[in-house]
Amino acid sequence: MNSALTLLILLPLIGATIAALAPVKQVGQIAAVMTLVQIGFLVPILIDFQVGVELQAYVDEIWIEELGIHYALGIDGLNIFMVALTVFAWAIATFWAATKEWEQPRMFYAMLALAEAGTIGAFVAQDLILFILFFDLLLIPFYFLIGMWGEGDRRRATGTFMIYTLAGSLLMLVGAVAYGVISSYQNQTEISFLLSDLAAAPVGGSTQGWIFAGFALALLIKMPIPPLHGWMPITYRSTPLPVLVVLSAVVAKLGAYGFLRVVLPLMPDAANNFQHVLLVLAIIAIIYGSVMAFSQDEARMVVGYSSVAQIGFVLLGIFVLDAKGAEGALLQMLNHGIVVVGLMLVIGFLAARSNSERLSEMGGLARSAPIFAVMFLIVALATLAMPGSANFVGELYIIFGALSDQFVYGAIATIGVPLAAVYMIRMFQKSMHNREHAEGRSRELNATEFGLLLPAVLAVLALAVYPQFVVERIEPNAEFTVEAYQPSTAVAGGGGAAVSKEADE
Amino acid sequence: MTELLTSAELFGNVAPLLAHAADFAEGARPEHSATYGWLLLFTPLVGAIVIGLTWKKVSDRAAGLIGTAAIFLAFGAALACFAQLMGMDPEERHILAGYTYAQAFGVDFRFDIYIDQLSVFMALVVTGVSAMIHLYSVAYMKSDAGYHRFFSYLNFFVFSMLLLVLAGNLALLVVGWAFVGAASYLLISYWYRRETATAAGIKAFVINVIGDVGIVVAAYLLWTELGTLTIPSMLANAEDAFTVAPSPEYTAAALLLLVGAFAKSAQVPLHTWLPDAMEGPTPVSALIHAATMVTAGVYLICRMHPFIEISETATLTAAFLGTATLLIAATTALVQTDLKRIIAYSTMSQIGYMIAGAAAAAYSASLFHLMTHAFFKALLFMSAGSVIAAMASNQDVRRMGGFRKAMPFTYVVFTIGALTLAGFPFFSGFFSKDEIISYTLHRGGAFTVIAAGMYIGAILTAIYSMRAVFLVFHGEPCDEAKQLEGGELAHGSPVNPATGALEDTDVGFPGPDHQIAEREGEMRTAMSVLAFLAVVAGAVQIPGVTHLIESWLEPVFEDSRYAHDIPSIATQWIGLGVGAAIALTGIAIAYWTYVANRGVSERLATRFGRLHELLSNAWYFDRIYDAMIVRPASAIASFCNNVVERFVVQGIVEGATGAAKSGASRIRSWQSGLARVYALSVIGGTTIIAIYFLVLAK
Repeated sequence: MNSALTLLILLPLIGATIAALAPVKQVGQIAAVMTLVQIGFLVPILIDFQVGVELQAYVDEIWIEELGIHYALGIDGLNIFMVALTVFAWAIATFWAATKEWEQPRMFYAMLALAEAGTIGAFVAQDLILFILFFDLLLIPFYFLIGMWGEGDRRRATGTFMIYTLAGSLLMLVGAVAYGVISSYQNQTEISFLLSDLAAAPVGGSTQGWIFAGFALALLIKMPIPPLHGWMPITYRSTPLPVLVVLSAVVAKLGAYGFLRVVLPLMPDAANNFQHVLLVLAIIAIIYGSVMAFSQDEARMVVGYSSVAQIGFVLLGIFVLDAKGAEGALLQMLNHGIVVVGLMLVIGFLAARSNSERLSEMGGLARSAPIFAVMFLIVALATLAMPGSANFVGELYIIFGALSDQFVYGAIATIGVPLAAVYMIRMFQKSMHNREHAEGRSRELNATEFGLLLPAVLAVLALAVYPQFVVERIEPNAEFTVEAYQPSTAVAGGGGAAVSKEADE
Repeated sequence: MTELLTSAELFGNVAPLLAHAADFAEGARPEHSATYGWLLLFTPLVGAIVIGLTWKKVSDRAAGLIGTAAIFLAFGAALACFAQLMGMDPEERHILAGYTYAQAFGVDFRFDIYIDQLSVFMALVVTGVSAMIHLYSVAYMKSDAGYHRFFSYLNFFVFSMLLLVLAGNLALLVVGWAFVGAASYLLISYWYRRETATAAGIKAFVINVIGDVGIVVAAYLLWTELGTLTIPSMLANAEDAFTVAPSPEYTAAALLLLVGAFAKSAQVPLHTWLPDAMEGPTPVSALIHAATMVTAGVYLICRMHPFIEISETATLTAAFLGTATLLIAATTALVQTDLKRIIAYSTMSQIGYMIAGAAAAAYSASLFHLMTHAFFKALLFMSAGSVIAAMASNQDVRRMGGFRKAMPFTYVVFTIGALTLAGFPFFSGFFSKDEIISYTLHRGGAFTVIAAGMYIGAILTAIYSMRAVFLVFHGEPCDEAKQLEGGELAHGSPVNPATGALEDTDVGFPGPDHQIAEREGEMRTAMSVLAFLAVVAGAVQIPGVTHLIESWLEPVFEDSRYAHDIPSIATQWIGLGVGAAIALTGIAIAYWTYVANRGVSERLATRFGRLHELLSNAWYFDRIYDAMIVRPASAIASFCNNVVERFVVQGIVEGATGAAKSGASRIRSWQSGLARVYALSVIGGTTIIAIYFLVLAK
């Protein structure tokens, strides 16, 4: 048995356990250092990763034979960078958390670690029930993280967060069980929830419809896509910033990932039938999220709504059902995760300087902080998908994919591009530029702040210089995932004709 | 699983093939290395980074010298590229080199630079003028508290512009395109504590992004038709594509390329950011918002000319909007009172000539004018900077006057710049502008109207450019001029010239001291060089005598369908004669109005109040956009915030919360009392499950 992925899931818990043994004051520091162990463990997995569609580091053990549930884990182009993002974001969040004081730190770091374990598990699970199990498992620690360490009206926030996500999960669980049972009944096969088994024996078109609806609701809530984003504003306001780093950067991506890993391969007919509903939702998310983002005063809500718009682009990329769109969506999930890590840190640092997270109470913060200003600017430009950033590559592939197969949606979505410039530059300008606010005091990043923000900035720059590293690793899976929807699958889009033309010459 | 592998394998075979196809130029001629090209591109970036990293360690002066040296080196590298191409066979003068940047599914997004006659020509103009402006800035920005930042941005701008010009891949061109937009944003809001400057910055940035989107969609359309984003391959494939009737995709692509070109080159209707961009320091106005960046649209049209030419709709659109721009801007410039804005509108107007000229397939004429314009417009801004410094930052021409004696050097070079702009005979602008007009006239048909518009623009140009000279340097000396004649530079309290708001002189605002060309060697040197070039650069292209630019660029444009359909030398000389007459008439009118009969202009302004209002407000474009876009957008935003969020979204939340009330109360009780027990049981349970998997599940 290849235990690499199992170990990857367990490492956070082991780390938290070791940290819990330390004296209260050192718990955070030990927990933070333990995240470096995870990174050390992840790097060889990244290096060993082979370009190709097959699952790697694959584990498949029968867990509950009678129910056909497998303990199956594997990585491929769809999730390798999501796993990397998870480890990266949690490491930064943990380091950041370690610079702050928390009540009951052992519990806090344990919850944080548990959430990470659940997230990694959900990303690598290759069995439908296992996926949902992890998906639900990670909610519980978030519930406590917000409820016990949150800010403001945290009671209402946890209530809303829990109800929304549990409602979604329940629908998904019912759908999953139904899928397995019906699949085995319709195809006369032995019951199995292994994703590859299910994909090989899909349920009939009419059944796919309502199962798809359940899955889509759950995943759209998680992303979140309007009008299912009701939990987001309340939850964002109450979540402590280091926790919000991972909630926003990583957990939201799980929704998009679910579509690619589960929904498209298992429910191709339904995905085709509901394609336009999802595309309309994607457009709504892009426009509505952008409009909300440029009219918010609270910095974290600007980022919150901008994420709605960005994840709208991801949804668009997925549901144009074109390989280029899926490629862009996958790349953008990684890119957006990285910039959100940076932006959340920036918001924390801005608030520390102006005693407020409101843009109207900031201004001129660049004055004594050129390094901070430059780093913030790099993250902000990447967020608005500035050409030259990997975010632009992601957006380019999404737009190319959309224009190839759903021209009108693609054309409308481009409105989101200048709007992104409006909300990100506005945020940068209102905080760093203009006259100083009476309450604020510009101050350069200290060593700790610099150290926290630097990895995100370096990641943005590295991906900007050589996005091909990611692009070629996700390419086979991007194609595989939407293959069922393409009449000719060799090379998607208009490139095909030209290739043959050039080859002739 | 086998099925999947097949398709993956199939793709595996296709991808290298495609990469090879994109690499053909590089692979076929390995002896032509792109080393000089890479040096040219990256020297300014290295300069920007070095200045950025050493801002605490080296003196202001050293930073200025590093920045200037980097650009001079880049200019040297551009010359080396030029020499390298000269050593090659004229038909073979192109080098393509780079690496795979983000390639998948046939989208060949590569980081390729393309060195050919056109890109080297542009690189020479860009680095040459930039070098002069860097030199000027060394002195001009002397007292500014953000000196390092300024030079770092300025170097970064040159890098971006070179990336745009050298890009051998359309997607990479978009990268350079957006980088210059960002550099322009940073430099417009360089005095970042000035709210008028930051507002102008975001406006410029957003309009530029609209242009980026246009090019991205155009790139998509061209990619579907041609199967590549590599520019030389696109151009090579263009010929095949054009044997069939142009598809609607080509028309759409051409129009979308124009959206990009118009946004960057400040052409109507995407021009409103340029006058506001004058909030940036004057060297920025000279370099970015006059000499280089704003001409990128002209470059784009020339670079992608087969794809513009193919669509009559696109060429006519470009020609008419270019002409509309040149007339709207020229009439606006007649009545502006802010010295920098007068020059800014003249930039818009002159680029209108280039755009309309390029639309008329007068590519080398447009590029010739691009070059001469870079010289005289940079010169005009530099001289204006000197005047504004003498006015202690006041930019209102109504308050200026009689600087002739106080600033003789500035007077001479400003007048040279203005005369060149006006098309004064035998100065460079005379040859370049009139070449555009004769070529356009020669196209006939609708282009006759365009040429007529150009002639009307020419007389307006002569009037407004000499108006500036006469208002600023002639007449009664103003207080500042008198003071300066006494050897004392005026020194007011620091205020924002646009609003009058009081400022300090620390970082984020302009520095306390002002520098005039009369007293600063660097400024005088840079201005002298440009003044010299403004006067004599026309000699490279005199009808019937020289044709250096045309023959250098000939291989680039030989596939144009109008390549050999050019006006005769006699016709061109007749055009020059008409141009000279028009320029001299305009200058005479300006003299009559602003020197001989002072006060006439005020009477005219009162007599034609409505018209004067219209022109002073730049044809009300800003107000129209405010009513059509800005206000509706904020109304939508407040509707989303106050109605949609409150009722729809929160309605769902409250409804769901109410429905699960009992559940919620149970959650609350966990939270208050049993939280820890529950949390521990979760952790414990997970650990047990985990151990089960690890140990027992084998």
